[in-house]
Amino acid sequence: MLDFEVFVQQLITGLSNGMIIALIAIGYTMVYGIIELINFAHGDVFMLGAFLALTLLGLLGMESWGPWGQAGGVATMLAASALFCGGLNWSLDRLAYRSLRRSSKLALLVSAIGCSFICVNLGLFWGGLPMEVFGGGMAAAAPKDFPALIPQTNLLGDSFIRITPADLLVVAITVPLMVGLTVMVKRTRLGRAMRAVAQDGVAAALMGIPVDRVIGATFFIGGALGGFASVVYALYNNTIGFQMGTRAGLDAFTAAVLGGIGSLPGAVLGGLTIGCVRSMSDQYLETRWTNTIVFGILVLILIFRPSGLLGAARREKV
Amino acid sequence: MRWRPGPIVILLGLAALVPVLDLLLPAAFALSEAVRTVFLYAILALGLNVVTGYAGLLNLGIAAFMAVGAYAFGILTCEIYPFQFGFWSALALTLPIGAAAGVILGAPTLGLRGDYLAIVTMGFGEIVQDVLKNLDSITKGMQGINPLPAPALGGEQWTADDERKWFYLLFVLLALTVLAVRNLERSRLGRAWFSIREDELASRAMGIRAERAKLVAFATGAALAAFAGGLSASLLSSTGEPNNYDFQASILALCIVIVGGIGSIAGVLVGALVMVGLNSIVLVKATAWMAAQGIGSQGNVLLSPNNWKFLIFGLALVIAVRVKPDGLLPPRLEGTRR
Amino acid sequence: MKAMECHGVWVQFGGLIAVQDVSFAVNPGEIFAVIGPNGAGKTTLFNAVTGIYPPTKGRVELHGDEQVEPVTPRVVATIAIVGALVGALAVGAVHIQSLWQSWIIDHYKYAQPFPWAEATAALARAIAGLGWFGGVLPLVVGGAIGGGAAWKHFSRARRASDHIARTGVARTFQNIRLFNELSLAQNVLVGMDARMRTGFVSALLRLPRFHAERRAFHAEAQELLDFVGLAGRADEAAGSLPYGLRRRLEIARALGSRPTLLLLDEPAAGMNPTEVGGLMALIRRVRDRGVTVVLIEHHMKLVMGVSDRIHVLQHGRTIAEGTPDAIRSDRRCIEAYLGSEEHG
Repeated sequence: MLDFEVFVQQLITGLSNGMIIALIAIGYTMVYGIIELINFAHGDVFMLGAFLALTLLGLLGMESWGPWGQAGGVATMLAASALFCGGLNWSLDRLAYRSLRRSSKLALLVSAIGCSFICVNLGLFWGGLPMEVFGGGMAAAAPKDFPALIPQTNLLGDSFIRITPADLLVVAITVPLMVGLTVMVKRTRLGRAMRAVAQDGVAAALMGIPVDRVIGATFFIGGALGGFASVVYALYNNTIGFQMGTRAGLDAFTAAVLGGIGSLPGAVLGGLTIGCVRSMSDQYLETRWTNTIVFGILVLILIFRPSGLLGAARREKV
Repeated sequence: MRWRPGPIVILLGLAALVPVLDLLLPAAFALSEAVRTVFLYAILALGLNVVTGYAGLLNLGIAAFMAVGAYAFGILTCEIYPFQFGFWSALALTLPIGAAAGVILGAPTLGLRGDYLAIVTMGFGEIVQDVLKNLDSITKGMQGINPLPAPALGGEQWTADDERKWFYLLFVLLALTVLAVRNLERSRLGRAWFSIREDELASRAMGIRAERAKLVAFATGAALAAFAGGLSASLLSSTGEPNNYDFQASILALCIVIVGGIGSIAGVLVGALVMVGLNSIVLVKATAWMAAQGIGSQGNVLLSPNNWKFLIFGLALVIAVRVKPDGLLPPRLEGTRR
Repeated sequence: MKAMECHGVWVQFGGLIAVQDVSFAVNPGEIFAVIGPNGAGKTTLFNAVTGIYPPTKGRVELHGDEQVEPVTPRVVATIAIVGALVGALAVGAVHIQSLWQSWIIDHYKYAQPFPWAEATAALARAIAGLGWFGGVLPLVVGGAIGGGAAWKHFSRARRASDHIARTGVARTFQNIRLFNELSLAQNVLVGMDARMRTGFVSALLRLPRFHAERRAFHAEAQELLDFVGLAGRADEAAGSLPYGLRRRLEIARALGSRPTLLLLDEPAAGMNPTEVGGLMALIRRVRDRGVTVVLIEHHMKLVMGVSDRIHVLQHGRTIAEGTPDAIRSDRRCIEAYLGSEEHG
């Protein structure tokens, strides 16, 4: 194997993981853009999405299906997780955040942290379900194997560089979602309403925009993207656990901040950057220092670009 | 004017009576032992209150500074290192060491807007844990540094059994912390912090050096957190493993401040009692009770109270901010805040 | 010497030119008004003067000085020290385990006295032995990042609004920016902060000088509240004041720093005629304390009543300057401003 091949391989891994991170980061950045809340529960909603996918997989016995059946199974899981996560995120807003719109930002944040804790705990209980795929209900806290429905064979034959169907799946799902979302925010009525609420909620309300419904829709879309991401993540990494939301959430939120929070392209760029930095650091430095390096790069970038890579510097109206 | 005891004095006075209560209750309750943890977290949360409550800077990594203090205390005192300071001098040193750590993190990042700072502090919290785990030749990795000395007073070396002494030591240190924080709050510095929290642009236009004031707040909070860390290490005679200072510990401190009443010292004391009481008294005792009753958790995830911890904690937070968004004991105007 | 001079000031936001080549000079002890239709760039001009955003082009001089902190040897030394510290930290961060090994672990034997001198010498040798790649490179890279960040910080801070405020320029805001949760007295005390001297330690330990300063400044804050007509309300929260009085509190807060130049941004907005009359008297009394006043205003009776000279802006450009009488009869001003707007 050549140095160059190792580098390309790490780049592929980094980009694939980065795409997934980006998809989660969009959920953070959308919610932050519209109500300035770091939605702490987002990472854990993502985690529950993966648990739902695994439950479906176990209930329907997808592992024994034929290749076309499994493709259908993947589509089913994607749809179910997206609906579930979107709905869950929407209900969090409805139940825990909406009544706090007028109180301090900190109170809202604490509420989000509380929701995150609740979701983590639900994940722990979920992992204790007496099902085959969850280890029969024993050791609820242990990581769960997620069957590799998408084969990890190398599409490039016996070349050292591996591109697997799983890599393609990541691209095939994340890229259209990102493009679709961008178009939606730019072109549709809902997108325009979302931008209006983000800029000035009071003025938007005076113009007759149903602010609460727009915010709810934002939560739903952000959550749904997290749901897609959860299935892709599970199929790509083949292991899930009730604590994975925290790690993924931290990475994704870092990505959102790195790119400039509130900016969709920023979230994507941030996600890809973090994915690549992680995989390069795993390869060329030591894995155990990877988190430190990601954080160090974040601080360095923020010192010299305080609003993130693509974030606009905000000028306060005086 | 007649002097009337304020809520802070009443709370501290009641706390001082806990060992008496212990004498009246069956030994199994061991309240004063549990209340010591409340004191430790109260010191930590008072530090966080300076940063988040007064200056309005969201710090999600306060436990990292606690870790810095604990490990500094460990390295300075433990007999496996040549430094071998005594309890008092090492504990005093945790303050400047914590402040230095606060400055190192704060100086480059305090210019950032609120939520950017939040993520940086949160990342810092993760990094400190990683560093403590990875530099195992210095920090002993996952084992933690131990044994660590207990204080000696008047030539007499304490042991872990001197429960009452420990209780009153922590009590006095907490009271001193309260006094220090209150003095800062009611000074030029406290006023500068409030004005920055309310409207940074206007306070700069009035000549407040906002960056400097924010850095001082950050360093003060870090110093108090490190102080709490050093104390807890000595109390446990070990720094414990790096995971003890994780995000959840930071969040616990934040919740104490917010549930109690952000920017209010008395609120922080009440918050510490409620949150730590829930976290390390009620749940721990319930688990012990269930084990004693022979209700096995083997196999069933729902049957261990510890597995309900996050759910209870989360619900408590969501409900608390909904019912009392300003906290249980919000600050009064008192010349500073309404 | 002029109290304030603008030389060809431009302020540009992206493609929008808000202020275009504006020049004027304010004499000490004068009441000087800047008027113009909405969107003429008046507030932007104030913001450029007080450092909230720097002018794109041109110069603002206050008391004959460009209010920018000079690059003194002390600043250079600070930046160098920060750079060196960050560089040293970077070296330490990269090699901490091996340095610890040669300093402590190699020499420590349980329960025996530690050979400090020998160990420290070994540490020094280990540092010297790091060589170019391991030692000098992190030192240089860390030093460059640290020094660069310190320089960036300094160049941002040197024309920042806190620095300018401390040179004797105070202001009020068009959309009133009081500290609503602080009391009236506290608001004024924030304005006085620039003149206070107690530090962290004397505040923490309540040293005698803390009490002395506190008494003096509290008394002065009361006096300022009296001066603007808010006597007896010192302990109320600023947020509970009626609108007309908030403007007065903002003026008291601004006077707290004992400014030589006071900028008032639409002080009469939203006031009724009686209140405007009181405000005019207050502005004159402020001037009589020796403070030069520059004000932006739409309220023509006030402008014509108190100003010594008036400067007229339209679309970011100067269209006239002169005494109230001259402006009142200036044809262009009437067209641009007086004629087009009903109120005033």
